[in-house]
Amino acid sequence: MEIRPILSALLRSKTGAILVALQVAISLAILTNALHIVNVRQAVSARSSGIADESTVIYTQVRHLAKSDHNAQLAQQKSEYATLAAVSGVTSVAYTNQMPMSRSGSTTSVASDRKQVGNNPGASFYMSPEDLVKTWGLKIIDGRNLKPEEVIEVDADTAPDDLFPKVVLVTKALADKMWPGEASVVGKTLFFGSGEEANATRIVGVIDTLQTQQAQVTERGGWSVIVPMRMTNGYGTNFTMRVEKGQVDRVMKEVETALRTAATSPIIVKVKTVLDDRKERYRADNALAWMLITVSILLLLITASGIVGMASLWVTQRRKQIGVRRALGARRVDILRYFITENFMITSVGVVGGVMLSIGLNQLLVSQLEMAKLPLDYLLIGAGVFWALGVFAVYGPAFRAATISPATATRSA
Amino acid sequence: MFSYYFLLGVRSLRRNPALTALMVLTLAIGVAASVSTLTILHVMSSNPIPHKSERLLVPVIDNGPLEGYNPNESLRANSNEQMSYIDAANFLKSGQGERRTALYGVSAPIEPDRKDLPVTSSDGIAPSRDFFAMFDVPFLYGQAWSEADDKAGANVVVLSQTLSEKLFGAVDPVGKRIRMFSQEFQVTGVLKPWQPIPKFYRLIGGPGAFSKEDEFMIPFSSAIRNELGHQGSMSCSGRRDPGWQGLLNSECTWIQFFFETRTAAARGELQDYIDSYAAEQRKLGRLKRAAKNNLYDVMEWLEYQKVVGNDSRLSAWLAFGFLLLCLVNTIGLLLAKYSVRAAEVGIRRALGASRREIFHQFLTETAVVGLVGGGLGLILSFGALALIAMQSKQLQVVAHMDWAMLALTFVMALLAALLAGLLPTWRACQVTPALQLKSQ
Repeated sequence: MEIRPILSALLRSKTGAILVALQVAISLAILTNALHIVNVRQAVSARSSGIADESTVIYTQVRHLAKSDHNAQLAQQKSEYATLAAVSGVTSVAYTNQMPMSRSGSTTSVASDRKQVGNNPGASFYMSPEDLVKTWGLKIIDGRNLKPEEVIEVDADTAPDDLFPKVVLVTKALADKMWPGEASVVGKTLFFGSGEEANATRIVGVIDTLQTQQAQVTERGGWSVIVPMRMTNGYGTNFTMRVEKGQVDRVMKEVETALRTAATSPIIVKVKTVLDDRKERYRADNALAWMLITVSILLLLITASGIVGMASLWVTQRRKQIGVRRALGARRVDILRYFITENFMITSVGVVGGVMLSIGLNQLLVSQLEMAKLPLDYLLIGAGVFWALGVFAVYGPAFRAATISPATATRSA
Repeated sequence: MFSYYFLLGVRSLRRNPALTALMVLTLAIGVAASVSTLTILHVMSSNPIPHKSERLLVPVIDNGPLEGYNPNESLRANSNEQMSYIDAANFLKSGQGERRTALYGVSAPIEPDRKDLPVTSSDGIAPSRDFFAMFDVPFLYGQAWSEADDKAGANVVVLSQTLSEKLFGAVDPVGKRIRMFSQEFQVTGVLKPWQPIPKFYRLIGGPGAFSKEDEFMIPFSSAIRNELGHQGSMSCSGRRDPGWQGLLNSECTWIQFFFETRTAAARGELQDYIDSYAAEQRKLGRLKRAAKNNLYDVMEWLEYQKVVGNDSRLSAWLAFGFLLLCLVNTIGLLLAKYSVRAAEVGIRRALGASRREIFHQFLTETAVVGLVGGGLGLILSFGALALIAMQSKQLQVVAHMDWAMLALTFVMALLAALLAGLLPTWRACQVTPALQLKSQ
């Protein structure tokens, strides 16, 4: 091989080579970290909310301007429920107080023991008298669903705190957090609040997944409970519906008109889809991912252009030497190989530097900006990409060098 | 000589057009990426009320139960960042500081007079009267409600210009009435467009630090009297009795409070006051924890509430890394460009130009590249910011270029080009005239 002569030639004019290696190193460091962050964000935004086939689930918030009493509101809720169920294309309706990923709703602290105080996990608190499990297609992996006779009706304005449901469904994530390693938590008692005043409820079933209203990135995002409860709070009610496929747009419009027509006093109606919430919840993550992808593409283009530029310069500078080599018997493929080998060596130096820089940059991101740690395979892939990019970028100038005719190259000046 | 070199520089842009275009483009992209991310960071971390941010103070008192209290844990894990009604009402009455306001978010359905129009929902806040003077809120028509309105909890309202025009058209609506919360509210004033960025007075639980302006303001006392539920977050540690009075008597925290002091130095007095207040409440048995009581001025509050997200910082960091790459790339391209001009340098040197002159000439030429790159970078930055603004309403608020950033773009592009040009220029100066002339 001709590594020795290439190396000594390189050592004579280091500047250009150093610049190319530096570019490769910086690009590699940014690229690996950027792609890693993109992948982490994509994984976060692709998590399941627990709702089966989100594209056919919608929800509506009905707000009444005039405040009415508990019984009037219960009647209102029931008639609204009937109105919604009657809309064609709606296959299932449930009352709910909040939606996963909607970023508004309530969280309550839960405990496995009355004495447990401090650092109690906060669980997302879903209330539903109707069959939320059925409407959302939640999977019960242990125990049973809630029953209609377990539902309690609560007036938020007058009810004391200890008027509380006796049974509850919990998510698997919450069960694992509260009772780590326990095979089944069905039948165990879950306390809402802490101390003597805590309300005791019996776990009757475990749901596979149901994200909280915030859908946090941490394990908290999976801690939810569903209680059989209907609450009146003076103004509004939320309902969620499962809709036949392909009917969502039509049903959303009809739901709004149906509610308005049925209402006896002025109301405000909002209808949204679960996918809207998902989009809004992960908007920032997706925006960042797109920005990083854009930067990465530009990065590769600029590095490639840098390699092409420097290689072209070297070809021009070494025209005469190439001519001499060719005249002395070097074949075209030898010239081609020379430039590609040279570039490969420079890229390799850059890749080695880049790997170290990647790790350094990642440590900075982890410590300063709470980003995730970079797995090693990103470095391997990154290195591969830049080796390929180097060869690809230098091929053009190297091919031009190889086509230099020895006669003209040695003749001029 | 400078203008001559400048002209030479402009002319040399046309030499190796491909190489020059690549150089200008590289520089422009690098500058655009860093300027657009930096602009967002700059707007996000700007001081929303610069002349008095040090005199506006947020008190934070820990009213949590004794159980679960860990004095060694960080402040954040322990304390409630909003305030209970009990503390807010006491502070309002205290007369401490120059001015003071309690506020919380309210959402109001506004009922139009015509029955055929749908009811619209609008979002506003319920502050006390001092709010307007404390935060320099500008009025288009009318004024804030009176002290007496505050005391009586009167049904009065201040509207944003947008909402006022939507309801009344472009006229002065002061004295007119609107119907919200199923009651009549009298308009006392209309604001000019007023949107502090970040929206420091409502960071918690509301629509966020970079949200649109509030559409209306009603007195805090009126909202309490009318039992208007809050829009935002509430944190309750203990039990509370049912109903509105139960909420007011509870230790649930849901109100935001601000003090204004006469001078920045008066902060010490205020700290003494809240310390003694907390000590008294502890003696009464209401406050349970022996926690520190904190005051945050506006900038400290923004920092504490982490208004500038890590993602924005990350974008800016990576953009600067990218600019660094563009810089290295430009060095290489300039080296290539200047290396073919050794003969020209040789002749100039032989004709009597000093190394200094050569240095000036090439650096001026580099600066021309920097200026062109800066110009293009500016256009690209505007494009990038427009793209970013399309992502969400929040980003729309922050993705705006100001004069400072505009100037920075040019300075950055120029500096980057000059920095990149140093090595190639120095290389060009090293040309030995004799050797060059001989080889001609």
